[in-house]
Amino acid sequence: MDLTRRNLLKRSSLAAAAIAAPHLWLPTAREAWGATLKKGEPIKVGLLFSLTGQLAVPEEDSTLVMQYAIDEINKNGGIAGHPIQPVIVDAKSDFNVYSEKAKELIIREKVIALFGCYTSASRKAILPVVMSQNSLLYYPTCYEGAECTQNTICTGPLANQHSKDLIPYMVKNFGKKVFFVGSNYVWPKESNKNAKIWLQEAGGELLGEEYIPLGSSEFGPVLGKIRDAKPNFIFSTVVGASDIAFHKQFKQEGFKVDAMPIASLTTGEIETKAMGPEFGAGHFLSAPYFQTLDNPTNQKFVESFLKSKYGKNGSTHYNMEETYLSAYVFKAGLEAAIKKTGNIEEVTSRMIRDVSGGVRVEDNVSPEGLIWIDGDNFNTWLKPKIGQCQADGSFKVVSQAAEHVAPDPYSIYPNAGKCTAAGLVAPDGKSRKNVI
Amino acid sequence: MTSLDIAPFANALVLGASIASIWLIAAIGLTIIYGTVGVINMAHGEFIMLGAYTSYALQSFLGLPFLLCLPASFVVVALVGLAIERGLIRYLYNRPLDTLLATWGVSLVLMQGVRLIFGSDPKYIAVPEMFQSNVEVGFASLSVFRLVVIGITALVVAATAWLFYRTRFGMQVRAVMQNKEMAASFGINADRVYMTTFAIGAGLAGLAGSLFGVLAIVLPTMGTAYVVQAFLVVVVGGGTLLGSVAAAGLTGELQSVFAFLTNDTFARFLLYVLIVVFLRFRPRGLFAVAKARR
Amino acid sequence: MTTKQNLYHSKPAQWAVYGLFFACIALIPTFVTDGFLLNQFAVYGIYGMLALSISLCWGFGGILNLGQGIAFGLAAYGMAMTMQMQSQDPDSNPIPPFMLNNSLEHLPWFWQPFWSTGGGILLALVVPTLFYVVFGTLMFRARVSGPFFAIMSLAMLSAFATLILDMQPYTNGANGLSPPAPLSLFGTDIDPYGKAAYWIVCGGLVAVTVGAKLLTQSKFGLVVQALRGDPERVRFLGYNVALYETCIYAISGFIAAVAGCLWVMLIQYVSPAQLDTTFSIGMVIWAGIGGRLSLLGAILGAFLIQGGQSYLGDQFLATWLLMLGAFFIVVVRFLPKGLAGLLEKILGHAARQPAKHARPEPAGLPAAGE
Repeated sequence: MDLTRRNLLKRSSLAAAAIAAPHLWLPTAREAWGATLKKGEPIKVGLLFSLTGQLAVPEEDSTLVMQYAIDEINKNGGIAGHPIQPVIVDAKSDFNVYSEKAKELIIREKVIALFGCYTSASRKAILPVVMSQNSLLYYPTCYEGAECTQNTICTGPLANQHSKDLIPYMVKNFGKKVFFVGSNYVWPKESNKNAKIWLQEAGGELLGEEYIPLGSSEFGPVLGKIRDAKPNFIFSTVVGASDIAFHKQFKQEGFKVDAMPIASLTTGEIETKAMGPEFGAGHFLSAPYFQTLDNPTNQKFVESFLKSKYGKNGSTHYNMEETYLSAYVFKAGLEAAIKKTGNIEEVTSRMIRDVSGGVRVEDNVSPEGLIWIDGDNFNTWLKPKIGQCQADGSFKVVSQAAEHVAPDPYSIYPNAGKCTAAGLVAPDGKSRKNVI
Repeated sequence: MTSLDIAPFANALVLGASIASIWLIAAIGLTIIYGTVGVINMAHGEFIMLGAYTSYALQSFLGLPFLLCLPASFVVVALVGLAIERGLIRYLYNRPLDTLLATWGVSLVLMQGVRLIFGSDPKYIAVPEMFQSNVEVGFASLSVFRLVVIGITALVVAATAWLFYRTRFGMQVRAVMQNKEMAASFGINADRVYMTTFAIGAGLAGLAGSLFGVLAIVLPTMGTAYVVQAFLVVVVGGGTLLGSVAAAGLTGELQSVFAFLTNDTFARFLLYVLIVVFLRFRPRGLFAVAKARR
Repeated sequence: MTTKQNLYHSKPAQWAVYGLFFACIALIPTFVTDGFLLNQFAVYGIYGMLALSISLCWGFGGILNLGQGIAFGLAAYGMAMTMQMQSQDPDSNPIPPFMLNNSLEHLPWFWQPFWSTGGGILLALVVPTLFYVVFGTLMFRARVSGPFFAIMSLAMLSAFATLILDMQPYTNGANGLSPPAPLSLFGTDIDPYGKAAYWIVCGGLVAVTVGAKLLTQSKFGLVVQALRGDPERVRFLGYNVALYETCIYAISGFIAAVAGCLWVMLIQYVSPAQLDTTFSIGMVIWAGIGGRLSLLGAILGAFLIQGGQSYLGDQFLATWLLMLGAFFIVVVRFLPKGLAGLLEKILGHAARQPAKHARPEPAGLPAAGE
C-alpha cells in the first residue's frame, strides 16, 4: 500500500471508528459483486452509449457497430465456446445517467467489461465506479491521455499520436504559418499542446490559438481573427455541431480551401455528410481509419457491415472502426486470460486487463491494419493516416505513417512520471494507482 | 490604440452588427409574444428548430428553392404556434409562471417529436452559390449570407413595426395590452388578438430558424443555443420592439468586442454579468411599457 | 367546522404522514442490500431535497428559480475538491493531476482551504449561500420578480457554467472533477454503495424537510407566503419585501448546496453538466408535478420522475421525453398544484367540504403533506 496522507489518517482512526460505528467499516459486499463468468453461460458485456440526445449522433453508431462485432464473433463460435451477450443501455447524453447506468451494469448486471463513452467528460463520470469495483472499461475513441488507471483499455489514438504526422505534412505542403482553433475543453487544449511540439519540430509558426464554447455556432469573431492573421492552414479541434458550423461559415465568409485548408482531428465521414460535402471538400483529417482504406479486410468490413441490419447509416468512420476493434481486443484479452487460468470461472475483469498488454488485432481482422495494446499504459499502437475530403464527402488517403506510433499518455508531462501497468511511477520512484 | 489595430477593431464592430441581427431575429418573435400576450415562451427555441426542419424538409423532399422555404417556414411554424395557443396557452393567460412551465413541456415534446421523425443526426440546408462568398468594403469584411440575415432582420423589424403601429390590428393589439377589459368593452376580441400575435411570433421564430439552419446546423437541439440569448434581449429591452432592437444591438456589439479583446467564452460570461448589473438599475429593461397593474 | 375539516390541512395528520414517510425511507436499507439500489435510492433522496428547495422558494415564496443548479453545482465542486484533496499529500503530491496538466505549479489560493475536510465542506455550503444572498439582494431590491427573475436566474446559471468551462486549470473544464476515492470522514471511507452513505443522505433529507416544514409554519413563513400572493400589499404593510425574498431564496439555495455536497459523496463526480439549464429546470418539473405547495409532494415528485426515467426510460427509449413533456403539460394545465393538489381535492371532497373553505388562516396555501 502506498503511503499517502489519506491512508495514514485512515489507520490512525480506524479503531475509534470501529467502536463508534461498527457498520461503517465492516467489509462491504463489494468483492462479492465482482463479475464472474460461468461455464456454458453467455459472457455479459455492457454497452454504455447514448442512444438519445446530442451525443447520440456518434454513439448510436458505436452501439450498432458493437452489436455487429458481437454478432460476428458469436457467429464464429464466440469466445472459448461462449457467446457474448450485450446488455444495451441508453445514457441519454446525460453524465448523471452515464454514472447511474455504469453502476447498474457493473454492480447489478455484473458485466465482465464495459464498452462505452465518446467524450472524456462521460468517461470521467463513470471512472470512479469502474475503479472502485475493479471493473474494466474499453474506451473506444481518441482522447487526451494524461490518465493512468488500472481499469481501462483504449483503442483510439492518444493526443501524442493523433497529430504527429498531420502537422509536418501540412507545414510541408502549405506553409509554416498556422492558426489553432478548438472547442473550449480539455481534449482540444491537450491536443494543441502536442501539436505545438510537432509544429516546432517542423519549423512552423503559431499565429494564434482560439477556443469556442462547446456547442456554439458563432464563428464570426474567430474567423475575423484568422483573416487578420493570414495563416497558411488552420489546425482544428472543434467538435460536434460547432465543427459543422465552423466549416460552413469558413466557406460563407469567403475563405478558400486551396489557400488555407483546415487540418482537423475530428471532421470525418459523418461530419462531412451532415454539413454537405461541398463544405468539407479539400480539408484534411488525421485518423487511423477511413472508409476508403484500400485493403481486403476493410473492403470486406465495409461491405458486410453496410449490408447488415446495423449498417443503416450508410457509412463507416474512424470512431466506429475503433469501437469495432475494441470488441476484438476484448476477445483476445479474454482468451489470453482463460488460457492463463485454464478455467473461465476464475477470470475476473481485472485479470483480462492485466493480460491484455501486447494483444494484437491482426491485418486480417482489423480494418485499419495491425494494431496492438501497449503493455504499460494499455492504449493502442497504431498508424495515423491523413485523408483529404473529396467532392463526394469520402476521404482520399494522402499519407500514412510508415511505422506504428507508440501511445504515451504523459508525453508532454515528463515530470508526472511514466504510466505502467501497476500505476503511475513518478520520477522519484513512487507509484500511485488510478491517477485520473 | 495604434492605427494597425483599428482595422480589426472596426471589423469586430461590423461583425457585432451581424451577431446583433442574429440575436434580434431570434428574439423578435419572443418579444411580440411577451410584449403582447405576457407569455414567456420557453418553446421559442423549438419553434426556431421547427423552422429549420421545415426548410430542410421542403428543400430535400419537395425540392423547394431556399428563398421560398423562408416564407413557407413562417407559415408552417405559425400554424404550429396557432395550434399550441388554442390547445394550451389560452387556458393559462392569467398564470404567467405556469405558461413558462407549460411551454417548457411543449419544448420537450417538440424536440423529441422531431427527433422521432427526422432522427438525431444533423441535417443541412443548401443555399444558392451566390450566398457562399464574402463582401469586402475597405477594411471590413462580411459574408453575403450574414448581409442577407441583416437585411431580412431589418425587413422583419420594419414589417412588425408597421403591423403593430400602422394597422387596425396593431391598434387593437396595443389597446388589449393596455387594458384588456376596456378594449373588450370597445368590441375588440382580445382572445383573437392573443391568438394571432402568438401565431405571428411563432412564425417569426420559424423564419429565423431557416436562416440559422444555413449558418450552422439543423439538429433537434439547435434551438437551445439561441434561446438564452433571445431571452436576454427581451429582458434587457423590456419587451418592446424598439427595446429589443436596441438591446440586441448593444449586446451583439458587446459580445463581438469582448470576444475580440478576450475570447468567446469569457466574452459570454462578461456579457451575462453586465446584464445582471444593468437590471439592478433598470429592472424593467431599456424601454419598458407602462402597464396597468393586474 | 373542525370536525369536517379537510384532513389535508390538519397539522397532526400532516406530521403523521411526514413521520410515516421518514420511517419508510429509514427502513429501506433493511430490505435492500443491493449496493446499486441503495446508491440509487440515496441519489433520489438528493433529488428530493432539490425539489424541496424549489418548493420552498417557488411554491411558498413565489420566486420561480430556474437556476438552482448554481447552488447545487458550486457546492458539488467544493465537495469534489475536498474529496480530491484527501487523495493528495502536501509533501509528495501537492496538487491534483489535472492542475499539473494545466501547467499550474501551485495549488491556487482559493483551493487551499480544501486541504481541510471540514473547511472544504464548510466553504462548499457557505459560498453558494453567500452568492444567493448577494444575487438575491441585487435582484429583489431592484424589484425584479416573476418571469424576469426566472430568466435572470437562468442567465446567471449559464454564466457560471461558462465560467467553469473556461477556467480549465482550476476546474478541469468540461471533464469535471472525479475524485479517485470515496469521501473519508473522521478516518473512515464512506462507501457510496453502503448503508452509511444512505443514512447520511436520509438524515440530511429528514433534517431539511423538518426544518423547511417548521419554517413554513413560522411567522416568517407566513409573511413569505403573503408575499407570493401580492408583494405590493405586504410592502404597504411595512415589511421589507426584498429582505424576506432574499432570505427564502438563500435558504432554498443552502438546501440545494447541501444536496450538492451529498450528491458528490455518492457519485464521486461533478462537471459543468450539473449547471446545465435542463437539470435546473428539471428540478422545477419535479416540484411542479409533485406539487409545489407541498414539501413532501415535491420530494415525491422527484422520486416519481427520476424513478420513471430510470425504470420506464429504457422501455420507452424514444418516447420517454415525449411522455414526460406531455405529462408535465397536463399537470400544469389541469393540476397547477400538482399531484399533492389532486390529493387535497380528493380529501376535500371526502370531508364534503371544498378545501379552500376549510380554514381561514392558511386558506389552502401552505399546507404541505399528504
